[in-house]
Amino acid sequence: MFGTLNNYLNGVQRAWSGQDGQTVASFVSLSDKHIMNRNLYLQNPESAVERQLDQPIDEIVSAHLKVLYYLGCEPRGYMEAYKHQTQCTQAVVKMLQLLKEENWCLPIMYAVCLDLRILAQKCEEEGKSSKPGEILEKAAECLMGCFRVCAADNRSSDEDTKRLGMLTLVNQLFKVYFRINKLHLCKPLIRAIDSSAFKDSFPLAEQITYKYFVGRKAMFDSDYKAADEFLSFAFQNCSRRFPKNKRSILIYLVPVKMLLGFMPKKMVLERYDVLQFHELACALKEGNVRRFDDVIQKHEAFFIKCGIYLLVEKLKFIAYRNLFKKVYLIKNTHQLDLSNFQSALEFVGEEGITMDETHCIVANLIYEGRIKGYISHVHNKLVVSKQNPFPPLNTVS
Amino acid sequence: MTEFVQGTCEDMCPQHEIKLRTKEHLLHFFERKQGEKNVPGIVVKSFSRSAAGIKTPRKSDLRTPRALQKTVEYLLKDILMDKRKPLCFVYDFIFDRLRCVRQEIVMQNLDTLTTISLLEPTIMFLAYCRYRLCTEAVDNFDPAICNQHLQECLKKTLCCYDELSLQDERPFTILMTKRRSFIESLYQLFNLGSYEALQRSLKVPMNFRDPIFCTAQQMSLEMYRRNYYKVMKLMEGLPHILAAIASLKLPVLRRELYQVFSVAYNSKNLTVPIKWLQTGFLYSDRGSVVNDCKYYGVEAQSDGESVKFSKAAFLCDRNPINAVHEGFVEEKLQKLYLPEVLLLKKF
Repeated sequence: MFGTLNNYLNGVQRAWSGQDGQTVASFVSLSDKHIMNRNLYLQNPESAVERQLDQPIDEIVSAHLKVLYYLGCEPRGYMEAYKHQTQCTQAVVKMLQLLKEENWCLPIMYAVCLDLRILAQKCEEEGKSSKPGEILEKAAECLMGCFRVCAADNRSSDEDTKRLGMLTLVNQLFKVYFRINKLHLCKPLIRAIDSSAFKDSFPLAEQITYKYFVGRKAMFDSDYKAADEFLSFAFQNCSRRFPKNKRSILIYLVPVKMLLGFMPKKMVLERYDVLQFHELACALKEGNVRRFDDVIQKHEAFFIKCGIYLLVEKLKFIAYRNLFKKVYLIKNTHQLDLSNFQSALEFVGEEGITMDETHCIVANLIYEGRIKGYISHVHNKLVVSKQNPFPPLNTVS
Repeated sequence: MTEFVQGTCEDMCPQHEIKLRTKEHLLHFFERKQGEKNVPGIVVKSFSRSAAGIKTPRKSDLRTPRALQKTVEYLLKDILMDKRKPLCFVYDFIFDRLRCVRQEIVMQNLDTLTTISLLEPTIMFLAYCRYRLCTEAVDNFDPAICNQHLQECLKKTLCCYDELSLQDERPFTILMTKRRSFIESLYQLFNLGSYEALQRSLKVPMNFRDPIFCTAQQMSLEMYRRNYYKVMKLMEGLPHILAAIASLKLPVLRRELYQVFSVAYNSKNLTVPIKWLQTGFLYSDRGSVVNDCKYYGVEAQSDGESVKFSKAAFLCDRNPINAVHEGFVEEKLQKLYLPEVLLLKKF
């Protein structure tokens, strides 16, 4: 589309002097059409670029053209391309530092940082690093360079501050940290955003991504109420035009909700193709402890891949509670023989359950407030409260 | 890339250090010849912190992988079985010398296989002593430091396993597979119920999941789900060192269960038999049950046969009691020839 290198550089220079961040960004983005132009694939573009472009954009463009060169090689030189994208990002840091009290250049940073992360991911997939996660970790350090400049920009006015760019960077960093399993590194970033005055004025799309990751983080920290809040916000605000994203959110929201005592509707699960949870919910509702284990086993790979295996394992108490409630409803008395519970467990197919273990399972449920009552060891009986002996799951936390 | 020095010393201690320590009267009890002061017998290189101002070690000051292997074997066989001194004294010596071995692994950047073969016995030694010395006074044995080193060695070894699995051209031998399963199980039990450890257990390749590993994994999962009773039940079936490491968690498990029971069996008149608690909570005798109950505010009855749980009387701010030697573990450890087990030649 640009024809010669000259045309391209003229375009960049025009946008740059017009302070059109968006357009400059597209000129250095790897998802723009100009990357199809083979005239731009240059191994040593410095002299030509420096002749036509001002500082500091020249350095960014030079690095970008080198990235294009290596990506155009046969076979693709991802590792080399990634190295030059790192240089490109470092040049962006310099640009941010030079352009004091203005933020029109933020889109350039967004574009370059996004490509850096994607290239790093690509290199990891190719198995180019000696240790898995090493390249992504380096990329995160590089992104942190941008983040520091943005976070420190507190002298500019509210419209011109680079702090508005923080959330986009934080989301990029989250993506890296979740992928390399370094969740503890998220904490300072969360603190930075939470204490930011712009918390609610960031673009909605970025806010959704942010809440999605913060929700997952809360989930891993076993703070399920917070996880529910964040993930629900993300799910409700995420547009229907992005069913894949909605599905990703749902995969975490559903088990969190279940843990809090809300069972999902089949229709929603069907729409987003996560019926695995429906099977799980059915087993729980039935109180079929054995089937619950079987469902987990059946979808083990799915649960592990999503990182929710341990969370769904935690749901087992619901199956016990529902099973014991059934026993109560059948027996229709307030003094229940514990051997009835044992038989129920055996009936659904739990093997080798002893009386002692039955005692302990019931004791745990009482302790957690899921059954109201007490056990008499002498009579081997559970005595349940006359009122509401099995409180609804969502009322007990 | 930094260049790593490759050691050339084929002995357990470089000549240079033997001379220096003999001259400075720094020979350890176990290093003197027939107890004579300042006459070196078998000397083992001691740990010294790398710090600013200390020169990079010379080739001749670092040991070859073979010498390191020999050192580990000597320490865990000859020194460990030396009964002239109490175990905590022996522990201090071996701990220091093994720490030096670990330091050399890092200094020389030894390959994964060598690292694993040196670290595995170190882990076994630390794990064994962590249990065996748990009743010592803090002056004699610091459990926190032992824990920290054990965790470090475990994590480093697990990383090495992962690395080895990635370069799959060299398959694990049967013995190596067995050793890895054992160490992976030990990691699970040492970190019982921890999210991080459980997450790892899900990614352990199938061929390393022997029945013992599966038990360890299930125990960790049950701990995570707070099904403490099941954890204890499974603990009984573990082999020697694994049972020992797991048993360190017993005080916590019992405390949690006492608390659960204080709510579930809460009653003014009803009691629970001591005998039942004794078997369920893996106590070896009735006296320990009564002691623990008293400590947590669970009232023992005058008949000496039962206790009464009360939600209000339970002392929830009491920390778990320190770990002690458990009867069922002692039984398992009794029949062992330690060097064989610690050097992972027999399981």
